[in-house]
Amino acid sequence: MISFQNVSVKYPFGNTALDSVSFDIEDREFVYLVGPSGAGKTTILRLLLNDVVPSEGTVLIDDFEITPKKFRQTALLRQHVGVVFQDFKILTDDNIFENVALSMRIKGFSSHEIQKQVKEALDLTGISDKAQKFPAQLSAGELQRVAIARAVVGNRTIILADEPTGNLDPKTTWEVMKIFKELEKTKTILFATHNTDIVNSMKRRVLVLKDGKIVKDKKKGGYEL
Amino acid sequence: MNETLTSMRRTPYQTFAALSVLFFTLLLSGLLFISLTFMQGLLEYVETRPRVIVYFQTKADESQIAAVQELLKNSGKTGTITYVTKEKAFEIYKEFTENDPLLLEMTSADILPASLEIDATKPEYLPEIAEMVSNQPGVDEVQFQKDIINNLLSLTSNVRKTTLVFFSYLMFMSIIVLTTTLSFKIALKREEIGILKLLGATNMYIRKPFISESILLGVIATALANMVLIGILILMNSFLSGYFTGIGMLSVDMLGLSLSVWPFDLTFAILTLSVTTIFSLFITLVSSFAATNRYLK
Repeated sequence: MISFQNVSVKYPFGNTALDSVSFDIEDREFVYLVGPSGAGKTTILRLLLNDVVPSEGTVLIDDFEITPKKFRQTALLRQHVGVVFQDFKILTDDNIFENVALSMRIKGFSSHEIQKQVKEALDLTGISDKAQKFPAQLSAGELQRVAIARAVVGNRTIILADEPTGNLDPKTTWEVMKIFKELEKTKTILFATHNTDIVNSMKRRVLVLKDGKIVKDKKKGGYEL
Repeated sequence: MNETLTSMRRTPYQTFAALSVLFFTLLLSGLLFISLTFMQGLLEYVETRPRVIVYFQTKADESQIAAVQELLKNSGKTGTITYVTKEKAFEIYKEFTENDPLLLEMTSADILPASLEIDATKPEYLPEIAEMVSNQPGVDEVQFQKDIINNLLSLTSNVRKTTLVFFSYLMFMSIIVLTTTLSFKIALKREEIGILKLLGATNMYIRKPFISESILLGVIATALANMVLIGILILMNSFLSGYFTGIGMLSVDMLGLSLSVWPFDLTFAILTLSVTTIFSLFITLVSSFAATNRYLK
């Protein structure tokens, strides 16, 4: 479970990224974060990665409280979280299998388990035939599938997606969303996006942010600002 | 291992620079270590063979020499006393001047002094023995090793200090060069490190490939430096054999163990290898931690 309690994030020089934000997200819940640029969507995701610490309030992931921690503890927190970004963040020198396996090697999984889980993830994302290819040989849609596969392996329970369809054409966007629909059965997903079509069509919980505040929280909402 | 080799192959100039600096540092360190150990061995050899040489006046007679011998024996502070007669001294002189007949022609046994070579039981008896015999009738000059030991001690001490400064400088330079090289490689992998951090990699996981690479460089440099050092020792062996005729063995006490320095043997080679390996490990670990620290904060 993810819990934000009166969370504010203030940057130096007085910028306020989040202003007393509170919400809870249950396990295996799919939540869209929508709002104009600078509304605080990415700050929420960064808080969950312990990349930013709250100036006020409390952020909890299960029993883990986000506070300024040593790197070792941050690393342990991040090992429970899968991330998918607009710019994919794929290692160009490693092949697709190795890119996905990396997420598990970091956690010390055995080779056998890595083989098994990576194969399943590549099957799920529909790129098992690309396992031995290198990122330069793949399209943007395929690279985003690699990033999703990497986010789900290694028993990661939460997926944070920061505008993952921002670089994709409409057809590929829908293919990627199909994968997310499949993943929501087993993972908690926070999905920050500007894409009105996908938010409106999927009818999932929507948190609308504006100027660092949550202005709407609808259980089966659409994209509205 | 493959990843480490690939990384080295991708940046050949930086790898070569780091390897060269490490190699020369370890080679010079090894040479300094051998020289210092050798000097220490020589010092200990001289110290354990305290000797006084008493030269008699050419007109001194046998009874005066016998009296001095008796006096020394009764002191209880001497071991072997060797009497070198004028004739024996002339024989020794002939050996030394065999290539210069002119010098030999001008000399006879009569003008050479007889002498006593006295081994003291302890080095601290040397001044007492010298004092005891210097005023005896027929004695011309007394020589003992105090000056030699003092000079050798002073030389060893100076070499040790110089070595320490030189060692520190070499180590500092190696660490700087290796840290710079690794920092360059890390800068190239900045994005990769960012991704690893996002995925939850620990500092140690991120550091591992860089530490492996610098340790591999250290191992190669240590192996090369030791091969050259062994070559140098083999080459020096024949030269030093002639130079140290009469000295059966030089040894030093190290960590409570008596280590043979001369003639060179396997134990000494292993010790040199160990010293250079420890030195290399220290340099590579400090460098890789220093280089990665900047990017992990």
